Amino acid sequence: MSSPRWWSIVALALAVGVAASGCRSRRGSGSGTDLAGTNIVTDPGGAFGADIGMGDERLEGELANVKFEPVYFDYDSSQVKTSERAKIEAVADYLRANAAKKLIIEGHCDERGSAEYNLALGERRALAVRSYLVGLGIDAARMQTSSFGEERPAAQGTGEAVWRLNRRAEFVVLQ
Amino acid sequence: MRFRFFIGVLMLASAGAALAQDVRVTKAGGDKASVDFSGLSVSADGPARVFAQVLRADLLRSGWFTASAPGRGEIRLLGSLGGGSGLEARVEALNTATGRRIFGKSYSVSAAEARRLAHVVADEIVQAATGRPGFAASRLALIGRRGGAKELFVCDADGANLVQVTRDNSISLYPRWSPDRSRIVYTSYVKRFPDVLMIELATGARTRIAGYPGLNAGGALSPDGRFSALVLSRDGNPEIYVKRLADGALTRVTNTPRAAEASPSWSPDGTQLVYVSDVSGRPQLYIVGRDGGAPRRLTLRGSENVAPDWGPGGKIAHATRVGSAFQLSITDPATGETVPLALDAADWEDPSWARNGRHLAAIRRDARGSAVYLVDSMGDAPLPLLTEGDWFSPAWSP
Repeated sequence: MSSPRWWSIVALALAVGVAASGCRSRRGSGSGTDLAGTNIVTDPGGAFGADIGMGDERLEGELANVKFEPVYFDYDSSQVKTSERAKIEAVADYLRANAAKKLIIEGHCDERGSAEYNLALGERRALAVRSYLVGLGIDAARMQTSSFGEERPAAQGTGEAVWRLNRRAEFVVLQ
Repeated sequence: MRFRFFIGVLMLASAGAALAQDVRVTKAGGDKASVDFSGLSVSADGPARVFAQVLRADLLRSGWFTASAPGRGEIRLLGSLGGGSGLEARVEALNTATGRRIFGKSYSVSAAEARRLAHVVADEIVQAATGRPGFAASRLALIGRRGGAKELFVCDADGANLVQVTRDNSISLYPRWSPDRSRIVYTSYVKRFPDVLMIELATGARTRIAGYPGLNAGGALSPDGRFSALVLSRDGNPEIYVKRLADGALTRVTNTPRAAEASPSWSPDGTQLVYVSDVSGRPQLYIVGRDGGAPRRLTLRGSENVAPDWGPGGKIAHATRVGSAFQLSITDPATGETVPLALDAADWEDPSWARNGRHLAAIRRDARGSAVYLVDSMGDAPLPLLTEGDWFSPAWSP
């Protein structure tokens, strides 16, 4: 790989990494954007490429017989944790080696909070993983999201031992 | 004694008014007019008895009345009920102090319609006696668990006549009524992705309102029925959009690249939306014009405010996190004042206004399950509507 291209990939990964890790921490530092003066826009163009559009058509295909480990999240957060990054890199490796495959990233939440808001939070988690994969060089057009909110828990019951298993993103590969 | 005095004062004050009110309309739920139902009793089984029982139950549930001992009510109901295979009904309501006839009407329906007629008559009596609309003839849309699936149901305002609308063996969520009550908009995973669909109740025909890549949720219809307020992530983040149904034209309303939006609900005049956003770090309520522009934050108290419903009276009902559970609150968007509803310590969520702007349907969740309750914003105790099985997101029809 030639030097300039290598640096531009690193720069893109850094920029998307910053965007994906963004401002969703519970401590709230840096997350409070004042809405005053926000105007409507009809095209996204978010800063740092945080908004990566998903095209007009749903990705379709048969389910591929490959499983990946879920990526877990902290409460009320859609930030990709450092401890989870290796799992996403494994998915990126697979997608690079299997160029025809497509990916649906499912976002999930624990049962706390309003079910309607949890649909949106689950979607933010799926989008955060997708952004991370884009930063690893995977074509955004190969990947879409599907949020299930709190509707498809991985573990039934209540309490943090259960909740932490439900705050996740899962990978569904399509042929 | 005190009640008769008040009735007398009200009659004097309203003498000559076109719509005299025979019931005090006060802020406290406790003040009710007593109604003598003894003139409406029916001994034989049949449609007449169904009519009388349902009418009595509806009037008591309306929040404006209590039942008096025979001969002692401020309002006296008289019914002449009969008819061969159908139901012939003449119902009158009299103010016993003045003798004024508040209401009097005759009906003739088939036997099968007896229950529905009672709901209609109850609402007419409430309107005539209080000047306020009743909700007895309205319906609830709700989500019920069926095995591992969640399906769409509809029932009457008293919890009866439960009808299953979808049989997809999938997940259906968040129903909202069309203004003419003929259709319901809801979120469905029948295609394995969240889509917003509209189903016509009479025929079962479904159309897709939003099926873009990513999240499609929300779907609340504007008061004129021409627009749908949606949560879409097609541009890379969950945001609020308004879609014109006639031609599909889409307007993006919010722009918060690092935050999630949810639960849009229309103002009664159709010019604004209230919605949930976590742009401040936790979900709170915001109000924005339906074409976009600078939103303003509505809720300032409570670590989380979610599930808003902007009701016909102009107030916004919502759920507020208190400790580990939610409680119901009502916020006036004109003043910003929030009033919590005094309910028990269970988890209360998903409030939906009845068309009278006083009552709400809501979910009460505890260790046993998730039930639909009738909640009174004026302080009457909540009443269970559906407690068998698990129920979610009630939506009260207009």
